[in-house]
Amino acid sequence: MAWQTPNGLVQAMHLIRQTVPLRPVLQRSMLSASPVLSASSTTTTTTTRLPRSLSSKRTYATQLEVTAAPPIDFDTLRTLPARLVPVSPSYFSGSPKFIDHQLALEHMLAENLSLPIVESSQAPRMAWFKLAQFRDFVGESVPTKKYKRLIKLLQRLNRIDPKLMPDNVKETIHKYVRGGNPYANKPAPATVDEMGRARGRGKRKSSSAVAFLVEGEGEVRVNGKTLVEAFPRVHDRESATWALRSTSRLDKYNVWAQVQGGGTTGQAEAITLAVARALMVHEPALKPVLRRAGVITVDARRVERKKPGHVKARKMPTWVKR
Amino acid sequence: MVSSFCWSCLTRLPTASPRAMLPPTLTAQRVAAFHTSGTLLASPLKKKANPQSSGPGYRSKQGVKLKKKKHVERARPPPVGERRALRKRIVLSNPNALEVADMQDISADNMVDSRLRGTILGLPVPMLDQLRAVQAFKPKQGWSIFRRPGTVTRRETLELGRLIDGISDKPEDKGKVVKRIITGPKGTGKTVHLLQAMSMAFTKEWVVVTVPECQDLVLANTSYAPLSDENPHLYVQNQAIAALLSRTVTANKNVLYKLKVSREHSALKSPVKPGTTLEDLANLGIQDPATAWPVFQALWTELTATSPASGFEKDFTPRPPMLVAVDGLAHWMKDTKYRSAKFEFIHAHDLVFVQHFLSLLQPGKNQQSALPNGGLLLYATSASNNPSVYSLDVALQRVAARQEGVDPSSPDYPAPVAYSNPDQRVLAALDSPKSSIPTEGTLELQKISGVSREEARGLMEYFARSGLLRQQITEEWVNEKWTLAGGGVIGELEKLGRRLTVSA
Repeated sequence: MAWQTPNGLVQAMHLIRQTVPLRPVLQRSMLSASPVLSASSTTTTTTTRLPRSLSSKRTYATQLEVTAAPPIDFDTLRTLPARLVPVSPSYFSGSPKFIDHQLALEHMLAENLSLPIVESSQAPRMAWFKLAQFRDFVGESVPTKKYKRLIKLLQRLNRIDPKLMPDNVKETIHKYVRGGNPYANKPAPATVDEMGRARGRGKRKSSSAVAFLVEGEGEVRVNGKTLVEAFPRVHDRESATWALRSTSRLDKYNVWAQVQGGGTTGQAEAITLAVARALMVHEPALKPVLRRAGVITVDARRVERKKPGHVKARKMPTWVKR
Repeated sequence: MVSSFCWSCLTRLPTASPRAMLPPTLTAQRVAAFHTSGTLLASPLKKKANPQSSGPGYRSKQGVKLKKKKHVERARPPPVGERRALRKRIVLSNPNALEVADMQDISADNMVDSRLRGTILGLPVPMLDQLRAVQAFKPKQGWSIFRRPGTVTRRETLELGRLIDGISDKPEDKGKVVKRIITGPKGTGKTVHLLQAMSMAFTKEWVVVTVPECQDLVLANTSYAPLSDENPHLYVQNQAIAALLSRTVTANKNVLYKLKVSREHSALKSPVKPGTTLEDLANLGIQDPATAWPVFQALWTELTATSPASGFEKDFTPRPPMLVAVDGLAHWMKDTKYRSAKFEFIHAHDLVFVQHFLSLLQPGKNQQSALPNGGLLLYATSASNNPSVYSLDVALQRVAARQEGVDPSSPDYPAPVAYSNPDQRVLAALDSPKSSIPTEGTLELQKISGVSREEARGLMEYFARSGLLRQQITEEWVNEKWTLAGGGVIGELEKLGRRLTVSA
């Protein structure tokens, strides 16, 4: 716990004046407060601390119990300090603990800057604290933007080659990771069944499709119909078979698809995704090719709902004078 | 103590800007403004609206102002029949397309040559008139994109070629009758299959009788009348029959003019003299459509005659085999748009024209097959202009089941759904039992689907060699198009081939 002399308080005020543009209120309080404070400094300490801890928003976790520091018993001190200073140099900033964390990480990064790094995709995947969890962790209301900066630091530290990463970095990094390992429980990879079929599902707009892929010679059935009967438009046929076409596997597999909901375009593109996923069951190595073909990324857009008072989702009724 | 009031703020009061927006006053006398608020002047441009003069005044003329219809000068509509002629126009050649160098014409030799599978065989130019006469070409078939008309030799074509060749030339197949109903998905080439049959029949000098569009007979577009007083429920379409006679005569002129009548035709008004050619006989019906039906019956009797009557032996020559091609069968399986005297719809089977052609599917009577001189009955359904007739679906399933050897009494034999009230006449029309005559085949169902990959490749190469497709024809490319065309549906392949692809 810090103990302040009037000298220290004045110093702190100077510091604040440098950072924050002068406001008349602040100015006045500084001018008027300094002589008064010299008399009873312990009380001012509590008054300055209280509003800060109260103002911190706790949306996520339980309210922290804010207690005043016990009064210092001067008798127990071996030597009476000439001048008491706060432990942390960022004590007088808005969020000292957060800044301490940040400074520590920056320091650690500066120390280990020369270590080789790996690609970010090769680095172990870490489940960093969510913002609310981090706020609980430090006990301060950290702004989103600043937290993002901290996450960037952490990610940079995480990119240090795992074989060469110092133990203290490892420990520090793991302090910022959520409990458990959310990325550990992955679904079991799909396999080709005993009949040689691979199953994939895909969705687009309001349509959802299931495709079964077997080795064959390019026959396609959609809901029991041929491709031509299911999609009279050539463009739809091309998009339905695009996953196979882009990997030049069109004459290597037979597709049997069930699709429902939505219109023709949505159905065709739902089949695209379903076929691509089923194809990845047969040949997982095709994933980068399929990603470049644009059939891995799901288009999650759906129809925007209609709102009351609107004609459609966004459209407003025509303005009339009366 | 200094007042906290900021004197300089007064100078920044927003007085200047509204004044600047006002129009400059003409009178130059401007007194220093005492008030700090901006002067609000009425705009001299805007006239004050009188609230009373907004509507029409009392007892004033209050009529609704009707806008006069503007007379739009329109171009004169095209003359009668021109639009129809344009719609039905058949263009068989495109001088911009490249000539394909080593393209063979269909002939008696190569129609059975299985090495030609997957190639395009051209239609010989003299035959085009005959094919036009029997209306073998349809307007939307895309003949107009190539230099000259040609068809793909596919598996079904070769099989048909062997059949026609056998019936014409092989003694063991002499007098054989094959009856087929051709079905298949849209664009698979059913009509072109009929065209190929016609072209082969013309090469073999058969007599070709066609009904190019069944719908024309049931749309109530042609005149109709009760057949006779004895048969008030049968109707005859004289114009349509005259048109059929005309088609048959024009297309088969070089066969018919060699054939002479072989018997008396008492039903005709004027007796036919011995030595009259069948062409002249048919022309009687064309000239006088009122006699078209008896003339057609007489012509049919002549064409199916196997031996002359007494007194006509001198001029008798054996009759050639016949090809009967009918397209769009489903229209004949329901009520027509014609009305009876009671103003009820007439069933298509009550038209003598339709009845005659449908009766050919049944086994022949009097110990004779339906076509005693042999021949081919090809009745195609359509997938694009196709009325849904449930009874026909069941009937076709039954035909297919009989073909697979399912006994009509067995439970596997397709039956109509209960309470669906199927049309028994339709079921009966296609329910032909096995004939007692060995040369007469039973009714078969031929399903035409997509072409094979090799045939698709041949077609695509033909597109490329005609200059329509600027693409390297590779195995992979053909396979892709084959899949996109729903498994080689030839109509879709044509659409893909003619689609202009501009590579960068």
